[in-house]
Amino acid sequence: MIGILSTLVAAPFLAAVVLLLVPDRARLLVRLISLTGAGVALALSVRVAADYDLDAGGFQMPELYPLVPAMGIDLRLAVDGWGVSLLLLTGVIIFAGVLASWTVKERSKDFFILLLVLVAGVCGVFVCQDLFVFFLFYEIAVLPMYLLIGIWGSSQGVTEAGPFRYVWKLFDIGGREYAAMKLTLMLLVGSAVLLVGILAMYFAAGGTTFDMEVLGATAYPRDMQLWVFPLLWLGFGSLAGVFPFHTWSPDGHASAPTAVSMLHAGVLMKLGAFGVMRVGMMMVPEGAVYWAPLVGGVAVVNIVYGALSAMSQRDLKYIIAYSSVSHMGIVMLGAATLTVNGWNGAVYQMFAHGIMTGLFFALVGIIYERAHTRFIPSMGGFAKVMPGVAVFFTLAGLSSLGMPGTAGFVAELMVFLGAWESASPWWTIPAILGAFLTAIYVLRAVRGIFWGPGPDPAFEDLADARGTEWGALVVLGAALVLFGCWPGLIVDFIDRVTPGYLGVLTQGVVP
Amino acid sequence: MSAPTPFHWGLIALLFPLVAAALIGLVAPLRRAGMPAALVSIAAALTSLLASAVLLAGQIDDPSRAVVEVVGWLPVAGSTMAEVGLRLDGISLSMLLIVTVVATCVQVFSLGYMADEPPSAFGRYYGFHSLFIFSMNLLVLAPNLLQAFAGWELVGLTSYLLIGFYYRKPSAAKAAVKAFWVTKFGDMGLLLALVFLFAQTGAFSWDVTLSGGWAVVITALVFFAVVGKSAQFPLHVWLPNAMEGPTPVSALLHAATMVAAGVFLVVRLDPLFVQAPETQMAMAWIGAFTALFAAVIAVVQKDIKRVLAYSTCSQLGYMICALGAGSVMAAYFHLTTHAFFKALLFLGAGSVIHAVHSNNLADMGGLWRKMRLTAVTFIIGALALAGVPGLAGFFSKDLVLEAVHERGLWLPWLALLAAAFLTAFYMGRVVFLAFFGTPSKAAEHAHESGPTMALPLVVLAVGSVGAGYFGSSFAELYGASYSFHMGLSGIVATSLGLAGLGLAWLVYGRRSLPESSFAFLAPIGKLAESALLDRMYTFMFRRVLLVLAGLIGWLDRYVVDGLINVIGWAAIEGGRRLRRVQTGNVQDYTYAVVVGTILFVIWGLWP
Repeated sequence: MIGILSTLVAAPFLAAVVLLLVPDRARLLVRLISLTGAGVALALSVRVAADYDLDAGGFQMPELYPLVPAMGIDLRLAVDGWGVSLLLLTGVIIFAGVLASWTVKERSKDFFILLLVLVAGVCGVFVCQDLFVFFLFYEIAVLPMYLLIGIWGSSQGVTEAGPFRYVWKLFDIGGREYAAMKLTLMLLVGSAVLLVGILAMYFAAGGTTFDMEVLGATAYPRDMQLWVFPLLWLGFGSLAGVFPFHTWSPDGHASAPTAVSMLHAGVLMKLGAFGVMRVGMMMVPEGAVYWAPLVGGVAVVNIVYGALSAMSQRDLKYIIAYSSVSHMGIVMLGAATLTVNGWNGAVYQMFAHGIMTGLFFALVGIIYERAHTRFIPSMGGFAKVMPGVAVFFTLAGLSSLGMPGTAGFVAELMVFLGAWESASPWWTIPAILGAFLTAIYVLRAVRGIFWGPGPDPAFEDLADARGTEWGALVVLGAALVLFGCWPGLIVDFIDRVTPGYLGVLTQGVVP
Repeated sequence: MSAPTPFHWGLIALLFPLVAAALIGLVAPLRRAGMPAALVSIAAALTSLLASAVLLAGQIDDPSRAVVEVVGWLPVAGSTMAEVGLRLDGISLSMLLIVTVVATCVQVFSLGYMADEPPSAFGRYYGFHSLFIFSMNLLVLAPNLLQAFAGWELVGLTSYLLIGFYYRKPSAAKAAVKAFWVTKFGDMGLLLALVFLFAQTGAFSWDVTLSGGWAVVITALVFFAVVGKSAQFPLHVWLPNAMEGPTPVSALLHAATMVAAGVFLVVRLDPLFVQAPETQMAMAWIGAFTALFAAVIAVVQKDIKRVLAYSTCSQLGYMICALGAGSVMAAYFHLTTHAFFKALLFLGAGSVIHAVHSNNLADMGGLWRKMRLTAVTFIIGALALAGVPGLAGFFSKDLVLEAVHERGLWLPWLALLAAAFLTAFYMGRVVFLAFFGTPSKAAEHAHESGPTMALPLVVLAVGSVGAGYFGSSFAELYGASYSFHMGLSGIVATSLGLAGLGLAWLVYGRRSLPESSFAFLAPIGKLAESALLDRMYTFMFRRVLLVLAGLIGWLDRYVVDGLINVIGWAAIEGGRRLRRVQTGNVQDYTYAVVVGTILFVIWGLWP
């Protein structure tokens, strides 16, 4: 009997396999199969949420398939409250992502295959209980990005002026090959660092099993925890956009095609933060407590630095990419607080930011596809020709600046509360300042793109969103509002397990 | 089915505008049709008004009643940490009635005022309006500070959307974001106050007792947000620009209700503010200063809406000062009467602007004969604002002055008195310039507005006359006591007000005093024109914040990312260099093998 979790992980993968058998020319069929794969993933994630027993809590729906018994590697699947909420996020984003990339023309079959494989990896990470397979899924999720950006990405960067123009040309900065290479290499270096940490834990725990429960219950020597945690933090953190290892994000997200940006900023960056919490903090608690001031301090830098960088950009995609760097800082800050509110907020911010940035990138994709530019100063007055896009862009912006009634507010509030309760209360102040800076750059962008006289004659007949694009926008926009007005729908799952994890974490630490 | 309870009425008052906003927002054909959307919105506002009237009637029967119904909203560690719901008591219900009455009047007025807009814009306008009423009610009926914060932010959002209603006009777009940023800047204080309050008490409740300095810290932070939202010095700069929005919007949001939300919030948090005398002192001084400062600027404005905008700043200063003096009753009473006459004045100004198609006072004049009803109602509003005995503003302003006087705040008291004189003067100036004297070209073709615009003026004029006589009922609702008596403050203020009106008549009515005899006011006018504070903020934004952002952006691209690129380049270059080792010459490899062997031998034999 195959369980629901393995079905969930396998569904996108199976859809990818089926796609291999379909001819390239049958474009509609390709799209429908992809949509089905994504739809099944979404439906199953909703089903998992419905089946999850909130009263019981903990890890549920376990499955176990031995893989390499000699090394203690098994395919262990189980889901907890965090996993449930992040699976829902993944389901929503991939569904909207397929809808948003409905019109990909170039080699659309290959595109969807890679996209679905990536999603299977993501789902795997969220439900995997074996550290080796966890790492495997993690890599499956990261690697297709190279091809997705390298082949389908856009090469049109903003032309740089100034003394460094020559250098930019030399490196082809802003080009898709450059972006794909940079993103992949930086993340792979992160993975290498990470692998050291993982193997250290495996051998220290006896070298008999990769079961995360066993590895997590092992009390590692304090000295070891102190050097293993930074490896895990930086390894996973490079994917979460932790400063100063975030620089792949602006180039990568700017060059990536719409659905890939959506998935990458929306879900993949969360894998990093999820890894830091699940593997880093929960398995080496003493290291986590020791390093928390640094983790939180860097997170605060992320928030303010990312917001200021976003403010200085004139390329729409770079703004959104830097805003992701800033918002992932809020996730990492929540994690570093080591408080219930902070952790709830961190996981909920992963969810909220995922939906929000997915919506942002979907909209940017629509604008770019029509206007063939991402340069904000050349835009203006677009609300007249694309009112629907304007409305959803404003909605996403409001969520990012923490407007009550959107999911972003709830998440930020919880993180702020947690930060003040934490060991370093001063974090709260720059974090709140970051939310204010967000209001500045987001509304500047809204004004620059949509408001004002115009549009330019060249943009006079840009079309509003149409067909499946509406589907993507409505799904994401509705989720932002629904989970903003009724956060309990998700936070109940998260909160069910957080206090227990934190209890274990703080218990294991002798002050 | 059982009779509706107060809770049901409260839900109706809260949710009908939301439903209307959702309908208009989601059902595109309804929005594009224009007029039907307006009717839906007005129907919702009327229902809300009806419900609040029923509620208030019940409340007057039983002033101490407080209905609180909440549901859990956000869990933490298995228990509920935040709730949403309704709190229906004297304070919330009287504010609810003010909001719904003014909102309904403004919506009906807008039928005529906005009639020239294309239908889809008309529908959008009403959608935003309904969203605003919902947000305001959410704030007013909030059972805790968190929900109030949600309403607080949402009214800020609707203010942004409505100021930017003419989004194609660059000045309106600019004004909208400016309003949002300035108020959001203040809101950081409120958010921080929320965090501190939760950390101290584990809840967001209205009634809290705090130990030590926390009461001062939290109230100071709340007050910081109030300074932003209620347009107090030095964060008032957004309000004059906010006049870029349609005039009815200015009447509803930027005169009667939204800007008064700050006062409401302090009234709500009164149990906390009385524990913080330091904050109260700051409020008294800042309020009094704003009252005088804005009144001075109002005197030299040429744009009728800007006169009223600065007047709003000034009157809000009165309320803040009264709160600083510890008199909730005075502040709240003035809020109530001010809502009526200031909304009336704005709508009257809207009626005039609609007729002459200009905001400029110079384009008006002699409208008394053309627009009799507008003139009469506007003058009632102006007299009420000037504090003429018998009208609403007289009673409430008197109460404010008395409270400040009683508290022994001499300088603020004098500032408020001076402001009272200036208020009467600038309102007299507007009345004489707009309605009397020789008509300008534009004013010659003016004609009275239609019934949809006339009716709200009449309703609000009745309120501006009558609201002052309900002092004791209001007092009962807030749990205070009130009886009218004419004290020192009252006599001085009233004489000053009449003197101000008289002076205005001499200068602008009879013209027996030339305007140039006020040349000594010119520096003030210059100051107002130069908008020193505005320039400073612009400087902070453009030359400091944006430059810093540019610097960080540069740093990120060239230094942080540059390092990554250098590492990448070093790897490539290193590979290129190392590749040279593989020359492909057998001789080279033989040399290497021989040298290597010798080295190994030496290493092995080394002692």
